[in-house]
Amino acid sequence: MSVETIIEKPPERPNNNQDMGEVLIAHQKKMGFFQNVKVGSVWIALILIVAVALLQLRFDPGYIGEHYAFVLQGILTTLGLSVASIAIATILALFGALGKLSHNSIAQGIAGFYVSLVRGTPLLIQIYIIYLGLPQIGSQLQSMGLTQLGKSLTLTAIQSGILALSLNYGAYMTEIFRAGIQSISHGQWEAAMSLGLSSWQTMRRIILPQAVRIIIPDIGNQFIAMQKDSALVSVMGVWEITYRANRFGRKDSKFMEMFILAACLYWILTIVSSWLEERLEKRMAHAYER
Amino acid sequence: MPMNDNVIINVENLHKWFGKLHVLKGISFSVSPKEVMVIIGRSGSGKSTMLRCLNFLEEPSSGTISVDGETAIIAPRVKVDPKKILAIRLKMGMVFQDFNLFPHMTTLGNVIEGLITVKKIPKDEAIAIGEKYLAKVGLLDKRDVFPIRLSGGQKQRIAIARSLAMEPKVMLFDEPTSALDPELIGEVLDVMKQLAREGTTMMVVTHEMSFARDVADQVIYVDHGEIVEQGEPQDIFNNPSDERTRIFLRTFLCTD
Repeated sequence: MSVETIIEKPPERPNNNQDMGEVLIAHQKKMGFFQNVKVGSVWIALILIVAVALLQLRFDPGYIGEHYAFVLQGILTTLGLSVASIAIATILALFGALGKLSHNSIAQGIAGFYVSLVRGTPLLIQIYIIYLGLPQIGSQLQSMGLTQLGKSLTLTAIQSGILALSLNYGAYMTEIFRAGIQSISHGQWEAAMSLGLSSWQTMRRIILPQAVRIIIPDIGNQFIAMQKDSALVSVMGVWEITYRANRFGRKDSKFMEMFILAACLYWILTIVSSWLEERLEKRMAHAYER
Repeated sequence: MPMNDNVIINVENLHKWFGKLHVLKGISFSVSPKEVMVIIGRSGSGKSTMLRCLNFLEEPSSGTISVDGETAIIAPRVKVDPKKILAIRLKMGMVFQDFNLFPHMTTLGNVIEGLITVKKIPKDEAIAIGEKYLAKVGLLDKRDVFPIRLSGGQKQRIAIARSLAMEPKVMLFDEPTSALDPELIGEVLDVMKQLAREGTTMMVVTHEMSFARDVADQVIYVDHGEIVEQGEPQDIFNNPSDERTRIFLRTFLCTD
């Protein structure tokens, strides 16, 4: 073999490789599509099996048809509760994380106490303490002459629900924020400080924007979990999905129908939320795409 | 030593302890305006720590640091006034081994961040200044690009522009080419040489011996937290007086 043929060969190979690569990618896409179809069919089969079984056992879909509108109205309440609570929880979590990471022992102590106490007790108990316990303290304060303060401790069911969910999720999200902030490399701090930024400016302008991008999926998960945990506020008679489902189910002894309906509504809500979260995540990845 | 017109940085008896580890053992030196001082030494000799102490990225344990009329006296268990630290930091720009660009900002965003947040310069003015320094490092065309799309050499040039934009009196370089692929080192050194030619006062920690030889006005050799040797590059490279410097240079120049 002559030297020229050896030298001439390499330029052709990248083309070959590229063609091979394209064929491979196309093949993988095709396989991926078939895989999705198969997995999707399994989902449909499972739903059908459950549906057929229920129908055999005198499940009454007609009842759902008559009363779904009543339960559906609860979606707005559920969503409103969740959105308000996740917003407040995010602010609480931010301060919690700053407190935990602060060198100030008072801030650190308060933040640590808050997280430990709230994470260590059931959400249902927290709801009861806020909704039923606080008014008891409030009336005591009123009898002591502190009328305004005493009155303000009696919260409506919705207010109690938002407060309990915010406090509870704020504690869990404190740890998420803390981990996110700590995951940003120390070099970012150093670069910002060397430019003359203060610690707070560095946190606000450099660290938090990067940390938030990292923790968006976790915040999304928390939001999804919260939509489901918001069912607990039905114990206070807030007219959200669960309360409404329970009310009719109890009246006509159609628990299975009404709660399956409620479950499906939560399911749809969470599917939509995760879809939105994914889109947000992609949008925030913009600066990081090569 | 009193500050005079011919000294822009004066450091006296600088000590740094990391717990029980004595990293800097009484460093003293001074730098004149427009001077390029190159600090060489083995890894772990304390040369980077010395540079980082100057702008308080590491808090020095004791000593005196004066930069262009701002003097900080550091003593154990005494907090240095944060305003003093800020004043000294603003006199100095720092370039890091790992670039440390802000990944969530465009290159222009990186360069104008200090101007807007620290110097409170109106945005349009800041952009004009930022573009000037992007052009200076030859990367104005990358103005709207995010750092992830840049090569290592380009990242470091942006980092230099970011520091220059603050118009500091002194530029500190902490191993600016150590994280770069060999073929990208040249473009960064070229920018640094250009700055030196324009009379920028520079302190450079580096392993690039050719840069030290060609560009430095003064070379310091640091070993075990002490300045072992100090002088003009030709003296140190051709005729080191200390045995440790001689061994260091022999191993380094052979692998250079």
